[in-house]
Amino acid sequence: MNENLELLEALRALAADGPREAPRHVEEQLKTQFRRHSRRRNLAAWTPALSVAVAAGIALLLWIESARPKPAPIPAAVAASVAPALEEEADASFYPLPEAEALPALENAMVVRVHLPVSSLQLMGVPVGEERADASVEADLLLGQDGLARAVRLAQ
Amino acid sequence: MVRRSGLISLGTALLAASLFGQGPGRHGGAGPGDFEVVRAEFGGHNKVVEGAPYSAQAVTQFTQTLSTGDHIQRTTNASMARDSQGRTRTERSFGSIGALSAEHGGAPTVMIFDPVASKSYVLDARSHTARSMTIPAARTRPANENARTPRGQANVKTEDLGTQTMQGLSVQGKRVTRAIPAGKEGNEKEIDIVTETWYSPELQAVVMSKTSDPRFGDSVYQLNAITRVEPDPALFTVPADYTVKEARPMMRGGPPPGQ
Repeated sequence: MNENLELLEALRALAADGPREAPRHVEEQLKTQFRRHSRRRNLAAWTPALSVAVAAGIALLLWIESARPKPAPIPAAVAASVAPALEEEADASFYPLPEAEALPALENAMVVRVHLPVSSLQLMGVPVGEERADASVEADLLLGQDGLARAVRLAQ
Repeated sequence: MVRRSGLISLGTALLAASLFGQGPGRHGGAGPGDFEVVRAEFGGHNKVVEGAPYSAQAVTQFTQTLSTGDHIQRTTNASMARDSQGRTRTERSFGSIGALSAEHGGAPTVMIFDPVASKSYVLDARSHTARSMTIPAARTRPANENARTPRGQANVKTEDLGTQTMQGLSVQGKRVTRAIPAGKEGNEKEIDIVTETWYSPELQAVVMSKTSDPRFGDSVYQLNAITRVEPDPALFTVPADYTVKEARPMMRGGPPPGQ
């Protein structure tokens, strides 16, 4: 009983001494630990959602890649008129033009970047829908020494 | 079939590009011409011919006959030169490309191909600048590579036309006739596409070629005014008052930086 009274007196004396705070370093440590704990909890909450988002992103990329039109290899008719060293370059991204089938072999090739209405490509044998024939694109034309086009690709 | 699927893919890509990319065009449309030249350069690995210098004027005439009976005719000219080291210079106006005509007539473009220095240059006379590109290691051209015949093709007939003299050179001729059987492309009758080529082994170049394709038109390419003396070395160098800018070739992925 006396011990209780002594403790009570001591607490009253402490209270009368004014407000007291924990030392600064203790407070900082406490805050740090609280933030760390809180972050772990947030991450744990978001992990399933992030996993789903990443998986969906990968699936979308794979679908886009598979759906993307691939450049066609140069058919034999055009390949015969494109010198071997140029074939390596040309078949990477160029589409052979039907009108190039019969042109002589390439001696020197040049690439011309042109800006043209889509309808112009019809004149070179490229099938183009009428609905957007007036639209414009930039394209690279692979020309031979005679200035006639062998192949075309869309500019990047 | 491969060609058709490739072209359908290109058509799809064109449609997508026109829908999402460029609309009426950043240049405001190609105007009265069929196209507008943005820039030009040599196309990747050009073959190197050493020890056969020449200068010549090249003329290409393209004629297309319309269903109305009317004709579209285009002519392009180029000045060509090659020195003993295999360096070449081509000065060409892109006023037309086959059946297509350029919007502004096509300013002349000078292209220098220098396998000795592994460089190619495109000169712009208006701005006095030269776009310089590093070219891959060149290879020497095997003799008479042009005499190859189309490989693995059915319905292709090759005829030897013998030897003639053209422009003071002995040239070897061949005629390749490629037949598209009736019905293959929706055609009622067989279509014959004929190409005649006259090649000079001495010059290692085609001196004349003619192509007749009923679907698209006829073209005649001819080297005229051929001189076989060593050209002026200055033709194969960038003029001193030009500013040289390094650029990335279009042939190897995308446009040059800053363009």
